[in-house]
Amino acid sequence: MKAPQKWAFQRVSALIVSPFIVWFFYILIYLSGENYDAVTNFFSKPLFSSITIILLTVGFFHAKIGLSEIFEDYIHNEKIKNIANLLTLLFSIVIPALTITILLYKF
Amino acid sequence: MNNSKNPLSPHLQIYRWQISSLLSIVHRITGILNLLGLIFISVWVFSAGLGENLYECFSFLLKSFFGKFIIIGFTWSMSFHLLTGIRHFFWDLGYGYEIKTANFSGIVVIASSLLLTVILWLSGRGLI
Repeated sequence: MKAPQKWAFQRVSALIVSPFIVWFFYILIYLSGENYDAVTNFFSKPLFSSITIILLTVGFFHAKIGLSEIFEDYIHNEKIKNIANLLTLLFSIVIPALTITILLYKF
Repeated sequence: MNNSKNPLSPHLQIYRWQISSLLSIVHRITGILNLLGLIFISVWVFSAGLGENLYECFSFLLKSFFGKFIIIGFTWSMSFHLLTGIRHFFWDLGYGYEIKTANFSGIVVIASSLLLTVILWLSGRGLI
């Protein structure tokens, strides 16, 4: 990805994630005080899964670009930087993929 | 390519602390914290998917003092990063570069991030 694209993607992903993440934290605070049944009941709502899928996909994407930007400033060895970027890319795909899979099949 | 002789980018230890630099640094730190927050969210959803016993363990942690501290911490980190992000949007549009304005918007962001955290916690817990 070239720098202007990163710049644009970072802003677009921020705009998409912003309203959803505020809503999600409100729900997290609410459900963290509730029991298992209330939580699974909420998780099985299509609105919750749709928003969570968008949030995790776009959120981890935003985090990946941001973290690479930090690596660019602090890691001066090209090899280590490439490995760090590759690991970040891997994690930013695997973690949301696993979570979305369990969300879709278990609830 | 030998990069080791290039100057190291953000000279954090050299500059005098100012609101502008403080917010810039904390924006990055909260960005990293928010990544941990996303992982925390994933673990939360995941643990509920693995069944009641496992979720109850995780829930026990969430309901403890430590758990509340973690949730409030991630809420503030998200609030702060989001609000400084909005401040960045205004800069992208060409507004707010004057030193006075930038310092003022910085203070507004700090105060609003705390306010948003309190509002989210109180409304989430049904206290307001």
